[in-house]
Amino acid sequence: MKFAWRILDLIVGGVFVYAGVLKVLDPVQFGIDIDNYKALPWFISVRLAFYLPWLEILCGLVLIFRFLYRGGLSILSALTLIFICATIAAKARGLDITCGCFGHASQHWSFPQHMAIDLAIFFALAALLCTELIRGARYDQKS
Amino acid sequence: MKLGAVREALILIALACLPAIGQGFYFRDKVSWESPIPASELVTVDQAKAWGDGAVWVDARPDDDFSKDHVPGAFSLNEDRWNELLQQFLPKWSPDKKVVVYCSAQSCNTAREVAKRLRDEAQLKDVFVLKGGWEEWLKKNR
Repeated sequence: MKFAWRILDLIVGGVFVYAGVLKVLDPVQFGIDIDNYKALPWFISVRLAFYLPWLEILCGLVLIFRFLYRGGLSILSALTLIFICATIAAKARGLDITCGCFGHASQHWSFPQHMAIDLAIFFALAALLCTELIRGARYDQKS
Repeated sequence: MKLGAVREALILIALACLPAIGQGFYFRDKVSWESPIPASELVTVDQAKAWGDGAVWVDARPDDDFSKDHVPGAFSLNEDRWNELLQQFLPKWSPDKKVVVYCSAQSCNTAREVAKRLRDEAQLKDVFVLKGGWEEWLKKNR
């Protein structure tokens, strides 16, 4: 079972590293993608566009190498949840958004496709976080 | 000692700042930090007015807003009726004229999008976005 969780770590971590690298390569386009949500002023969107991809990459690597693991999992879970809420809010406001999560590959994804991928990633992160917390609680009980 | 999740998260948040600042520094001249529209594509009301007959004004706001009031001589060209309005607009345009696109205010995006479509789809050159939009034009002219 431990092996299966490790595989899930590698898959989810790899997804975030890949998504982060794509955005690092074109931060201006990512800034426009954030701006399209009409939730933040441009001067914040453009700064986030330079920051968030590196946070994604770092947290993805954290999952792969299991260093600062709980912190990385918490950040990625929070980011994914915020992103899901922002996407739903944008849809409710009638905005036609491009998420840009995976560069050009995700440009033509429909809303249900976006949601399916985002929710799958979120539930994988939540499962990893719960497992880690249970493992931590057991360790604390033993010691 | 095992770090708590919050402390670990704070370390990661701080660490991610380093490459981000480095990349931001590298891109400092390639990005428009205050507006999604590069400074070279923006024009102020005074500059656009100084172009006089050399400028064609394009109103990117919805039809209702355009019919209430607009810059004198402006053409309505919004994304709701893009194909129809573009066909009406193109005969009025000539290569020696600059195109000034505006929407309701500084915060609106439609002018930027219409300007982009005019450049990419209609292959027009010298397309600018009015800084401050219709609100700014009103302030300077009323």
